[in-house]
Amino acid sequence: MTNYLAILGATLSLFAAACHASQDTAKPAAVKPAAAAPASAATPAAAATPATGAPPRYTQNAAKSSLKFTFEQAGAAASGNFKKFTTVLIYDEKNLAASSLNVRVEIASVDTQEPERDAMLKDADLFNAAKYPAATFVASSLAKRADGGLEAVGKLTIRDTTHDLRLPLTLKPTPDGLELSGKTAIKRLDYGVGQGEMKATDSVGDEVKIEYAVSLVRSRS
Amino acid sequence: MPFRNTTRSWGSLSKAFHWLIVLLIINQWWIASRADELKGLAKLEALAWHKSFGLTILMLAVLRLLWRLVNPTPDLTVETRRWERVLARISHVLLYALIFAMPLTGWMMSSAKNYPVSWFKMFQFPDLVTPAEQTFHQMHDLHHLLFGVLVGVALLHVAGALKHHFIDKNDVLRRMLPFGKVE
Repeated sequence: MTNYLAILGATLSLFAAACHASQDTAKPAAVKPAAAAPASAATPAAAATPATGAPPRYTQNAAKSSLKFTFEQAGAAASGNFKKFTTVLIYDEKNLAASSLNVRVEIASVDTQEPERDAMLKDADLFNAAKYPAATFVASSLAKRADGGLEAVGKLTIRDTTHDLRLPLTLKPTPDGLELSGKTAIKRLDYGVGQGEMKATDSVGDEVKIEYAVSLVRSRS
Repeated sequence: MPFRNTTRSWGSLSKAFHWLIVLLIINQWWIASRADELKGLAKLEALAWHKSFGLTILMLAVLRLLWRLVNPTPDLTVETRRWERVLARISHVLLYALIFAMPLTGWMMSSAKNYPVSWFKMFQFPDLVTPAEQTFHQMHDLHHLLFGVLVGVALLHVAGALKHHFIDKNDVLRRMLPFGKVE
């Protein structure tokens, strides 16, 4: 059921950015997943970026950002969101390969406006928040989509399962940075969000739609 | 048996509305008491049935009221006393109000918990109120209170029907029975 939520969170991506000094100043939580990414992901990005300057780095303005998920429950579309997540985007319009997106979603911040359901989501059969407190999306490059939009090419990890995910996104300039938005859908069971009786999809559908609108502030680098 | 009502007896459609709603209400009570003992997915499933049947009652209530408005209502017998007429009128108005109020308060309970309702997984109904814990508790209490009123008024209704049949020996009860014959 609510497992879908987890998926959504993961869709946000982290930035590879592993290469530059500016990264050292990044928030620890956001940086961690990138650091954990395979070295191969980081190296090409580093090589591609000219020594003259790192691409601009953007961090999330939590107050203006939302990560919403929608899933089918007993025949009706139910929704919720994650209240706590962090996003770091490194974005160079002219060098998408050197751009990156890094997202970390705190599972315990799940909110469906119904405490009993939130508790079920955090339980062992769904997200198992005690064991897997965060879902991450780590993308070490961006790419153009066929329709002209952008996508972050990365890996989504929920619980202990990681899958490739191409996260569609739109970037719009704002006075102090960028607005990142988009939507996608994932299957909760692909990520093990649904153990035991929660594997059944007749009451709680497998597909979870994820919608994100993240306000990003350009940081000094 | 005619489809429409006459001034002397209920038509088949009116009888169908009456007895179908009776059976659905009993079924609702049974599902709700089962659901209280369940947890997790099983509870969710039971409540999904309860909501689907509840919406069915609401839709039947709308049709039933419309049908009543475009049809004659059989009269009470001439010998029915004034206090009986008044009591019958009050209980009928209450019963009609309750077959609307029960589903509506239940639907609001669900909306207040951010559980959109569907009708047998076929259509999703819109949310009636914005999710809020306090709204849920108010609607929950009201839903239960109204159920108590429903049981009370229904018992009075049954007692009245039985009085007509066994004491007054008229055909007020018989004319609502599925295959009842009216002389």
